[in-house]
Amino acid sequence: MDDIIIAILRSGTPLVYVTLAGVIAQRAGIWHLGLEGLMIAGACATILGIVFTQSIVLALLIAVGVCMVASVLFWFVVEKLKANQIIAGLGLTGLGLGGTTLAIESIFGSQAAVSAPFGLPRIGPFFGSFGNLSILVLLMPFFVFAFWVLLRRTRFGLRLAAAGEHPYAARSVGIEPSRIRLAALVIGGALCALGGAELAAGSLQFFSQNMTAGRGFMAFAAVIFGAGHPVGAALAAMFFAIVGALGIRAQLVFGDRVPHDLLLGLPYIATVIGIWMSARLRGGAKAISGFGELRDN
Amino acid sequence: MSETTAAVLDCHDVTVRFGDVVALSNVSVSFASGAIHAVVGQNGAGKTTFARVIAGLIDPDEGSVRISGRDMPKGSVNDARRAGVELVHQSFALPPSFTVAEAMQFGGSGGKLYTRSQLERRWQAHLDALNINVKAGQRIRDLPVESQQSVEIARALVTDAKLLILDEPTAVLSPEGAEKLFQRIRHLKSAGVTIILILHKIREVLAIADTVSVLRGGKLVEGPVACSGIDADKLSELIIGPSARPLDEDDRAALTGSASSLHTHVGVSGKDGAAPPILDMKSVSSAPDGDGPPLTDVSLAIRPGEIVGVAGVEGNGQRTLVRALSALADVESGTIALDGRQVTTLPLQGRRIAGLRVIPFERNVEGLSLTSSLWENWSARKLLQGSLLSWIRPSALRSECKSALDAWDVRYATVAQRAGSLSGGNAQKVILSREMDEDARLIIAAQPTRGLDIGATAFVWNALDQARRRNCGILLISSDLDEIMDICDRVVVMLSGRIAGTFEPPYDIARIGAAMTGVTHDR
Amino acid sequence: MTDSLVSIARALVFIVVALVLCAVIFSIAGFSAELMFSAIIDGAFLRNGALNHALRWGLPLFITAVGVAISFRAGYFNIGAQGQFYVGAICAAFVAEWTSGAPAFVVLPLCFLAGMIGGALWALWPGLLRLRSGADEVITTLMGNFLAGLLLIYVTSGPLKDQSGSGQQASSRPLEAAYRISNSLGVSPLIISIAIVVGLSMWLLVNRTSFGMMSGLAGRNPTMVTWQGAKLWKVGLASFLISGALAGLAGTIELMGPNGRLASGFLPAHGFTAILIALVANLSILGSAVAALFFGGLASAALYLPVIAGLPSSAIDIINAAIALFITARSQLIDRIMRFRSRANG
Repeated sequence: MDDIIIAILRSGTPLVYVTLAGVIAQRAGIWHLGLEGLMIAGACATILGIVFTQSIVLALLIAVGVCMVASVLFWFVVEKLKANQIIAGLGLTGLGLGGTTLAIESIFGSQAAVSAPFGLPRIGPFFGSFGNLSILVLLMPFFVFAFWVLLRRTRFGLRLAAAGEHPYAARSVGIEPSRIRLAALVIGGALCALGGAELAAGSLQFFSQNMTAGRGFMAFAAVIFGAGHPVGAALAAMFFAIVGALGIRAQLVFGDRVPHDLLLGLPYIATVIGIWMSARLRGGAKAISGFGELRDN
Repeated sequence: MSETTAAVLDCHDVTVRFGDVVALSNVSVSFASGAIHAVVGQNGAGKTTFARVIAGLIDPDEGSVRISGRDMPKGSVNDARRAGVELVHQSFALPPSFTVAEAMQFGGSGGKLYTRSQLERRWQAHLDALNINVKAGQRIRDLPVESQQSVEIARALVTDAKLLILDEPTAVLSPEGAEKLFQRIRHLKSAGVTIILILHKIREVLAIADTVSVLRGGKLVEGPVACSGIDADKLSELIIGPSARPLDEDDRAALTGSASSLHTHVGVSGKDGAAPPILDMKSVSSAPDGDGPPLTDVSLAIRPGEIVGVAGVEGNGQRTLVRALSALADVESGTIALDGRQVTTLPLQGRRIAGLRVIPFERNVEGLSLTSSLWENWSARKLLQGSLLSWIRPSALRSECKSALDAWDVRYATVAQRAGSLSGGNAQKVILSREMDEDARLIIAAQPTRGLDIGATAFVWNALDQARRRNCGILLISSDLDEIMDICDRVVVMLSGRIAGTFEPPYDIARIGAAMTGVTHDR
Repeated sequence: MTDSLVSIARALVFIVVALVLCAVIFSIAGFSAELMFSAIIDGAFLRNGALNHALRWGLPLFITAVGVAISFRAGYFNIGAQGQFYVGAICAAFVAEWTSGAPAFVVLPLCFLAGMIGGALWALWPGLLRLRSGADEVITTLMGNFLAGLLLIYVTSGPLKDQSGSGQQASSRPLEAAYRISNSLGVSPLIISIAIVVGLSMWLLVNRTSFGMMSGLAGRNPTMVTWQGAKLWKVGLASFLISGALAGLAGTIELMGPNGRLASGFLPAHGFTAILIALVANLSILGSAVAALFFGGLASAALYLPVIAGLPSSAIDIINAAIALFITARSQLIDRIMRFRSRANG
C-alpha cells in the first residue's frame, strides 16, 4: 500500500505545482498552455544546475530564473503584442521542448538523458518508508493552502480575479490588469520551475528529452476540472496522478493480458473524462479563448 | 487661477481623439463644489468620454484636468481616486462572480488579508449606513440591475468621495427607481458630495440638477448654467443643434425627453382590428434562459401594421422573450403562431423563412461580425435560408449587397470593408437593410436605437414606421419609455418574465412606471 | 485588399522577430547563429534538389494544414492533427496488411479510404464532446495526440510488429513495393495530384459554397450566425470531420509514400508544423500552399543539419516554436504603417 501512495505522491506533486501555476494564470485571465514548456525548462535547468554548480539551491534558483524569464516573454507576447493565448502557449511549449533538447545536445552531444549526482533533499528517515520523498512533496500541501489564502482571502487575490473576469472593472479602480497578469505569470513561472525540479530531481535525478510527456497539459486540464479553485485544481491533479499510478499497478497485476502501452494512456483518458465532466457539470463552458485576430471581441 | 479655487473640477482645453474621431474637442469647464451638475447631450456627443477623462480612465491628448485645485497627472485612476473622484459606470463595473463584499473590498484600502465573515460584516455596515438593502454575501450576478447600481454607488463611496460622477444612471431604471436614485443623490449632496450626472433626458435634468452643461459633437456648447435660468425648449435646441432633417414635434420631445409625450401617431392606414394577427403567442412559458427570468404564461398578439412596445426594467424577461420568439430559448408550454402558421417547434431558420426578422439586442455581437466584411454580414440571412452545400457567387452577392446598402443610405467605402469600421448608426443601418426586406412579416427590434445619435435614431424610427405601413407586425423592445410611447400603438410591460400590464394610447407614464415596478397593477 | 496586405506584412515581420529570438537562443546554447542560419537556409532552400525535398515534406504538410485551416476558420481549435495523422496512417496500415496480395488498384483506394475515415474518427470524438457538452477541444485533441502516439507504439510493437528487427525503433513490416505510391524521396505524380485535388476542392468549399462562408462567419462570431438561424453544430461537426480526414489522408500518404512502413513516433512534429502553416497563411488555402513549401524546406533541413552540417536538428523545432509564439501577434505599429501607406496611395 505504501508504495502505491509513494508512487502517487511522486507523480502527483510535480503536477500540483504546475497546476497551481495554471490556476493563478487562469484567474488573472490567461489560459496558459505554455505550462508544459515551462515545466520541462525547469526540469532541465535543475539537472544542469546540479551538474554544473553542485548545489541544489543554486540549481533551483537557476531553474526559477529561467522559467520566470520565459514567463515574462510569454506575458510580453500575449499582453503587449496581443497574440492568441492558445497558439502562443503552444509556441512557448515548443520552445521549452526544443530548447532543452538543444541545450542537452550542445553540452553533451547527442546524449538523450543526463543524470545528476544528487537530487532534492529528502524528507528523511523520520517518515519511515516515505523518507525518500523530496521536501517538495512535503511542502506541496502548504503551497496549496498558501495559494488558497492568496487567491481567495487577500485583496491581491480579488484584484487578480477582477483583472481576469472584468478587466474594465479592475482598471476603473486603478488596477492595471496587464501588470497583475505579469505578476501572476511570473509567480506561475516559479511554480513551474519547482514542478519541473520535482519531476527531474525529486526521485529520478535525471533529465531526458520530452520527459514531461504532456504533464503540463494535464495540469492545464486540472485547472479547468478544478474550476480555477486552487484546492479543487490540486485535487484534480492528484486524481490524474492516482489514475496513472493505478495504471502502472495494473500492468504488474494483469501482466501480458492488457497491452502496457495502452495502460500508459489512462491519465490522458482520465484528463479527457475530467474535461468532459466539468463541461457537463458547468453547463458547457464557452470556448477557452477567441481566436484573437479572427474572432470578434 | 485663484478664481477657480471654489471649483471642485476644472477642465482646461481637454481634447480626446480615438484614431481619426475627435471625441472631445477643447472642452474647458469648471464645476463648483457642493452642487449637482448635469451634463447632457445626445449619444456620441462625448459625455461618457468626458466622465472617463475626469476619472482618469482616459488620457486626454491635450489639455489638463484639475481637481480641487490640484493638477491631475494624465490618465491616472489612482490619482483621481486619491483626490476623491469616483465614477459610477453606465454598465456597471463589478465582476459578476464577486460577492457584494468582495466587490467593495477589491478596490478599497485596508484589510489586505481577511476572512469571509469579517469582510461581510465590515461591508454590511457600510451598506446599512447608506441605507442600501442588499446582503453583503450575495453575488453580483444574482442582483437585479437596480441593486447592482446601488452597490456600485456604495463601492464608489467606499473611500471619502468628494466628486461622484454617474454616467447615465437612469438608463436602466424605472421611473420610480430613478426617483429613488434622485433622492439618494440629493442626500449625498447635503452630505457635501459634489455630483456630476451624465444624462440625456431634459426632464430628468430639470428635476434634479442645479446646473446644466451641454455637449454636442464633442464640444461644450453651453454651460454650466443654472437650471433655473433655462427652459426645456432651449435645452432641446442646444442638444439637437442645427439638424439636417427637420424633426416632428413629438419625435423631438421623445428624443430629448423634454416632456412626457402623448402618443399621437395612432390610426395608421391599413390597421384592421379584424385582420388575423401576425404574431400570436398563447400562454408561453419558457425554461430559464441564461440571463434573466424565464417567461411565465406570456400571451401576446401583434396585428399587421401594428407596433407593439415592450417596456420594463432591464432583466425582466425581455431577452428571454426575444430568444423564445427566435427559437433560441426553449419553450416549455404554450404556442407561437407566425402569420397564421404554428411555429412553436420550428427552429429559427424555419421561422426566418416564414417571415421572422430579428434586430438583436447587441448590435456588435449578435447583429454583426465586426471582423467580417459588410457583404458577408449582409448575405448571412439569405444564405442561411438555403442549403449549406449550395454554391455561391461572391461577386453577385457583393453587388446585391451594394445596392441594398445604397438603398438604405449606408455610408461606407466598399462592401469588402469590415463591419467594425462603420459608425454605430451606419452599422445599425446594415442590420436594418438585412432584416427589413420585402419578405419580412414580423420584425423584432430589440433596443434598435441604443447608443445611436438623434439623426440615426430618427432614421430607425422612420424605418419602423415604413415597415408598419407595409403591414408588417413589429415588436419593439426598449428601455427608453419616451421612445416606446412615441412610436408604439400598444405597450406591454414585462416584470419578472410576465406581462404585467397592457396599455393603449394615450399613455399614462405614471401607470406604466408603476407596472414596471409591480406596485399597483394587479395580475 | 489592404487587409490581406497588412496580414502578410505582419506575418513577415513577426517571422523575423521570431528568428531574432532563435538567434539569441542559439547563441546562448553556444552555436554561432550565423552558421546555424546559413546551414538551415542551405539545407532548406539552396542545396541540390532542395525543391524536391521541400515538396516531399511540404505536400503532406499542406494537406494536413488545409484541414487545420478549415477547423480553425470555423472557430474550433483542433490541435489534434498529429493524432489524426497517426490514426489515419495506422488504419491504412491495417488495411494494407489485411488486403495484402490483392492488386494495387484495389488496395490503394481502400487504404486511402481507411486513412481518411480513421483520421475523421479521431477528430469525431473531440468534436462531439465539444459540440454536445462544450468540453474544450484544445485539451481533448491534445490528449488525443498523446493517446494516438501510444497507440502507434502499441501497434508497431504488437499487431503489426516487424519481427525481422530491421529498423532501430519498433516499426511495422514494410509495405510491398507494389503498394508504394512513391520511393523514399517521396515525390510522385500521384502525391502531387492528390495535393492539387485537395487544394482545389477545399478552395472551392471555402470560397464558393454557403458552407465556406458560413463557417468563416461562425468562426469569427458564432453568436451572430446563431441569431441568423445557423445550426452551429452542423458546421462544427463537418469542420472537425474534414480536418481529421485530411490529416488522416496525409498520414496515409506518408505511410504509402516516403516511409513505406509505420515507425513508432515517426514525424512527431507534423501536426504542429501543419498548424503553423495554416496560421502563417492566415487560414487561406492558397497561402497554405506557399507556407507549406517554406516549412517543408525547414523540415527537410532538420535532416540535413545533423548529417551534413553537424548541427542539432532541434534547431528547426525551435524556429517553428518561435514562429508559433509570435505568429498571432498583432502589432498596431504595422497596422498603422500599412493604413498610412494605403491612404497615401489612394
